[in-house]
Amino acid sequence: MEKTNELTYNEKRLLAVLKPLKDAEMKKQYYQQTIATSLSGNNLPIISALNSLKDILSVLEEKKNIALNPIRNAVNMLESGSDEKSGFSLKRLSLARPSVKYLAIIMDTSEEAVVQYAKLLDSRGYCKLIAEKTVAYACTEEGAKYAKEGLPERRLYDSFENSIALKDLQANPSAKLGIGWLRKKGWVTIKDGIATKVGDVPLGPDEIALKDLSVKSAGTEELLKRKLITEDEITEYFIEITKEGEDLVEKGLDLRIETSTLTAEQIRTGEWTKLKLRNYNVQTPPKRIFAGKKHPYQQLIDEMRGILISMGFTEMYGNVIQSSFWNFDALFQPQDHPAREMQDTFFLDMKAELPPYYKAIRDIHEHGGDTSSTGWGGKWSEEKAKQCVLRTHTTGLSIQYLKDHPHDPLKVFCIGRVYRREAIDPTHTPEFEQLEGIVMDSDVSFRHLMGFLKEFYQRMGFTNVRFRPAYFPYTEPSVEPEVYVDGLGWVELGGAGIFREEVTAPWGVKYPVLAWGLGISRVAMLKMGLKDLRQLYRSDVDWIRSVPMNRNEIKATACGDTDERVANQKNGEE
Amino acid sequence: MAVITLPYKYLEELTGVDKDTIIERLPMIAADIERYEDDHFDVEFFPDRPDMYSPEGVARAMRGFLNIETGLKRYDVKPSGIRFTTDPKLKDIRPFLASAVIRGLNFTSESIQSIMGLQEALHWAIGRGRSKVAIGIHDLDKVKAPFRYIASEKSRKFVPLDFDREMSMDEILKEHPKGVSYAKLVEKFERYPLIVDSEDNVLSFPPIINGELTKVTTETKNILLDCTGTDEKAVRIAANIICAALAEAGGQIESVEVDGVTMPNMEPVERTVSVSECNKLLGFSLNAEEMCENLRRMRFDAEPVGDPKTTDKVRVLAPCYRNDIMHDWDIFEDVAIAYGFDNLVAELPNTFTIGKEHPYQKNLGLVRKIMTGLGFMEMMPFTLSNDRVMYQNMRRPKCADALYVLHPISEEQTMFRTDILPLMMETLQTNQHRELPQRLFSAGDVVHGRETYQTVSAVSMHSAADFSEIYAIVDAFMHELGLEYTAEVSDDEAFLKGRRADIIVNGKKVGVFGEIHPEVITAFDMDQPVSAFEFDLRVLYPEKIE
Repeated sequence: MEKTNELTYNEKRLLAVLKPLKDAEMKKQYYQQTIATSLSGNNLPIISALNSLKDILSVLEEKKNIALNPIRNAVNMLESGSDEKSGFSLKRLSLARPSVKYLAIIMDTSEEAVVQYAKLLDSRGYCKLIAEKTVAYACTEEGAKYAKEGLPERRLYDSFENSIALKDLQANPSAKLGIGWLRKKGWVTIKDGIATKVGDVPLGPDEIALKDLSVKSAGTEELLKRKLITEDEITEYFIEITKEGEDLVEKGLDLRIETSTLTAEQIRTGEWTKLKLRNYNVQTPPKRIFAGKKHPYQQLIDEMRGILISMGFTEMYGNVIQSSFWNFDALFQPQDHPAREMQDTFFLDMKAELPPYYKAIRDIHEHGGDTSSTGWGGKWSEEKAKQCVLRTHTTGLSIQYLKDHPHDPLKVFCIGRVYRREAIDPTHTPEFEQLEGIVMDSDVSFRHLMGFLKEFYQRMGFTNVRFRPAYFPYTEPSVEPEVYVDGLGWVELGGAGIFREEVTAPWGVKYPVLAWGLGISRVAMLKMGLKDLRQLYRSDVDWIRSVPMNRNEIKATACGDTDERVANQKNGEE
Repeated sequence: MAVITLPYKYLEELTGVDKDTIIERLPMIAADIERYEDDHFDVEFFPDRPDMYSPEGVARAMRGFLNIETGLKRYDVKPSGIRFTTDPKLKDIRPFLASAVIRGLNFTSESIQSIMGLQEALHWAIGRGRSKVAIGIHDLDKVKAPFRYIASEKSRKFVPLDFDREMSMDEILKEHPKGVSYAKLVEKFERYPLIVDSEDNVLSFPPIINGELTKVTTETKNILLDCTGTDEKAVRIAANIICAALAEAGGQIESVEVDGVTMPNMEPVERTVSVSECNKLLGFSLNAEEMCENLRRMRFDAEPVGDPKTTDKVRVLAPCYRNDIMHDWDIFEDVAIAYGFDNLVAELPNTFTIGKEHPYQKNLGLVRKIMTGLGFMEMMPFTLSNDRVMYQNMRRPKCADALYVLHPISEEQTMFRTDILPLMMETLQTNQHRELPQRLFSAGDVVHGRETYQTVSAVSMHSAADFSEIYAIVDAFMHELGLEYTAEVSDDEAFLKGRRADIIVNGKKVGVFGEIHPEVITAFDMDQPVSAFEFDLRVLYPEKIE
C-alpha cells in the first residue's frame, strides 16, 4: 500500500501549502540578494517575500493547485499589511517554518486542526511540528490606554512649551501620575515652582516597547514594573516541512477531495469518476447488526416438516384440548393407566360428548370386541372418557384422522406442542413439541416402519440408526430407534410401532398403521448442543442472535459419517 | 418404570453363561441397562413384561433367547391341602384373592432382597400402586391353616411388620409409614381387609402391611403367598409370576383351595395364530416351523397345525406368567424379537401419497416470513401462563373464557394463554439487559373456551419505540397479508390512551397495537418504551378448516 494512502485530504492539503511557502522562502533569499541594491532595507524582506509568493501563486493558478487559496491569502495579507497588524510580521517569520497561527489564518481553519494534521505528518516524517515556549506581552487596561494616548509623562511633556508653572502643570489631568515620571526620567527640572524642559526628549525604550509588544525589548521590563503590561508564557507551534515531505509533494499528491459517500447527483453526472473515494480499512470489523430470523428451534421444526412433506406426508393440526376418549381410550390406554392420573396429566374442568360408535371402543376395552384381543377386562367408564385434558400427545389427532380416512393409503404427520404435568427443570418442561407420523397401506409392515425411521433420521443427519424392542400401550410390535451421536454414543430418539388392532379396528381400518413419535426438543438439544431445555422456551435473545441460520457445521458434528467424509477430504487435499 | 437389580453371580448361575454375553444381548429382548456396579447391574424392564422383574425371570427368558433351553417352562404343582376362605363382605372392598404355597426354599439375605424387589415392581406394574393388586409373602410355618380372608373391624389389633407393639388397623393407617402411604386405598371403607389363620393370628392387612409374625427370614423354608385385589385377572397373574420365580429359585409349588378353587393355575394359555398374518405384519417370509422355532426361543410352546412347511396355523402355548399376551400380534412381536431386531432389514414401502402442508402451518410460515422480513426475531414462549402475567400486569380484565387446568403444577402455569403479548412482555423482561433495540415476535396457539386458534404478537423495545413505529409495522404486515384494514381508537388498557388502536377488518376487530402503558412496563420490572401489536390469524380463514 502506498504511504500517501494513509494521509487524509486535510493532511495532504497542509503538506501542499507548506511546500510553496518553503519555496517562497528560498526565492525570498534570492530576491533579497538580487534587488537589495534598489530597495531600502526595512521593506526588503517584505517586498521580496511578496514577489516570491506572487511568482508561486501564478504557478499554482495554472495548476489549479489546492494550495492556491492559502497562498493567495498570504499574498493579500502581505499587500494589505494586515499580517503586520495582526502580529504575524514576516519580519520575524520564516516562510520555511511558518507558525500554526499563520497557517490557520491563510488556510482558513483552526489552529487545533492544523496541529492535528501536522502531528500525523510529523509521525510519518513529512514535517516537523515544533513547539516553542515563548513569552507574550499584553497591555493591562491602563497600559492599553497609554498605548493609545501616550504615557502620562509624555502627555504632560507635550502639554507646554519650554516651561510652565508647577501649579498650572498640576491642573493637567495627567499630572497626578505624570509629574513624578517627568522628574524621574529627568525630562524637566523644577525650580522655584517652575518646571523647565531639559531639551528634546526622544521616545524612551518603554514607549517603543509599548508600541510593539510582539517582541521583548529594552523597555519591556519597565512596563512590567509599572504594571502596564503582563507577561504570559505561551506555547507556539511551528511547522517545518522535511525533505521527505517536499519529495512527496513534488512527486504529486493526489489532492482530490476524498469522498466517503457517493451522492445520486455524483453518480448521475459522472462526477464520481473524478472523485477520490475514501478507502476503508477492511481489517476493522463493523459493529454487528442482527437479522430478523426464525427461532432456531422453529427452523429445525420446519426442516423436519420439509423432510416429511417431501416424503409424501400430509400435515395435521389440531386442538390442544382433547377428550380423554381421543387422548387415551381410543389408543387402548386402560382407564386405570398411571398416565391417566392427575399427577401426570393436566385435566380440565370440561367434558366432551363421545362420538357416535364410541361403544366400539368400550367393547375393545372390556373384551377385545371383534378382534383376537382379550381386552383389558373390567368395566369401561363413559364418564372417564368424557373428561377433557390438555393433549398429552398428538396421537389423538392421528387416530381421529384415521377415523375420517379409514380406507385410503395415507401418510400423515403432525408437529405440535403436548402437555405433561411436570415441574420445570433443565430436562423437563410441562410443554414440549412432539413429532408424530403415521403410514397406512394394505401391504406395509414392521420392516417398512424401520425403513421410514431410518430414512427420516438419515435425512435429519443421523446416519447411524439402530432398533431395539420397546413397549408402548398402543403399538404392537413396538420399537425404539436409537441414533449414534459422537461423544454421546447411542441415543434413544423416539418410539414407534404398528398401531394395535384394538386401536384401528373400531374405526374400520383394515390395514396396518405404522406410527412413530419423536420428542423433538431432544433432537433440538442434540443439534444445538443445549444442556437446558428451558433455553428453547425462555430464550436468551443473545443466544438466538448468535446461532447462525446455517447450521451445517452442527450437522457435521452430529453424525459420524459426515465427519469421516470431512476427514477424508482433508486427507485428500494433503 | 421398574428398575431391577441383577447380581452378576446369581444371574450367571441361573442363566449358565457369562455376564458379558447377558449384558450384550439383554437389550435386544427389551430392556434398558441403567448402570453397572461392582457386583450387580440395574436394568429397566418395560411394564408389559413383569415376569422379567427378577433375576429368575430374566434368566428364564435369556436361556431361551440364547438357545440354551427353549420352549415352555412347565411348573409342577402339588396339592398342599391348605384351604382359604374369603368373606363375602369384601365384595365391594377388595374381593379377589389368589394364593399358593411354595416349599423347600433356601433363602439368603440376597434372595430375600430379590423377591422383595419383585414384589415391589409388581405392585407398581400390575398392582397400580397396590390398588389393583397387593402381594403378601409369609413364613408358612409360623401360622396354622386354614386361612381366612375377612372384612375386619377397624379396631382389630396386631403387631405390624417391623414394629414391636400391637396397633389397631386405624392406628396403622395413621402411624405406620406404609399405613400413611397407602391409607387412601382403604380408609373410605367401613371394614378393612385382613388375613388370619385358624387361631386368629394376623398374617396381613392387605394392601397395607403384613404382620410381624410371618416375616420371611433366612430361616424360612416354606412360603404362603397371598395376592389380593380388585381385578381377578391381575391378582392371578401376579401370583403366577411370584410362584414361577420361586420355582426357578428351587421351590416346589403347592396349590391352595380358595373357596373351593384350586390355585395357582400354572397352566399355559393356548392361542392359534396365522403364519401369513404374522409374516404380513412383520414383513417376513417364515414358514410355520421357522415361526415356531422363534417362539420357542421366547419360551412359548409352538407347533405347526398340519404340515410344518405349508400350514398357515400355529398352535401356541403361552406361559402362565406372561401378562402381555392379549392379542395375536403380541405373539408376532415375540417372533420379531426372537428373530432379532438387529437382523431385520429396513425397507421403504412404495405407498404413493402427495405431501401437503396444513393451511394453518402454511399461514404461520407466511407470518414468520413477513415478520422476519420486517426485522423481527422469533421467540417460542410457553403456552401455559397465569393470571398475573396474562391480566394483572397487563392492566387487562380476566378473560371469561380462559382455560384453567384443574391441578396446576406451579403458580406460574395455571392456565392456557389467551393472548401472546403478555408472554412477549415476559420475554422482554428476561432479556432487558441485552442490546437494544429488541424487536421480537411469536406466532402460535391461544385458547378461548374450547377453541384453539392462532395469533401473532410482536414487540419493539428501545428508547424511541412509539406508536408511529408500530403503526408502520402493522401497516406493512397487513399489506403483506393482502388485507384491507382500518385503525380505530382502542380502549385496550394495556396500551397508553391516545396511543392505541384496534385493527379492523371487514368491520370486525382482529387486533390491537400501540405504545405499551408505562404501568405495564413497570409491572414487568422494565423501564424502556415498548410498542407492540397482536393480531388474530383467524381472519385469514374464511371457513373453519379441520
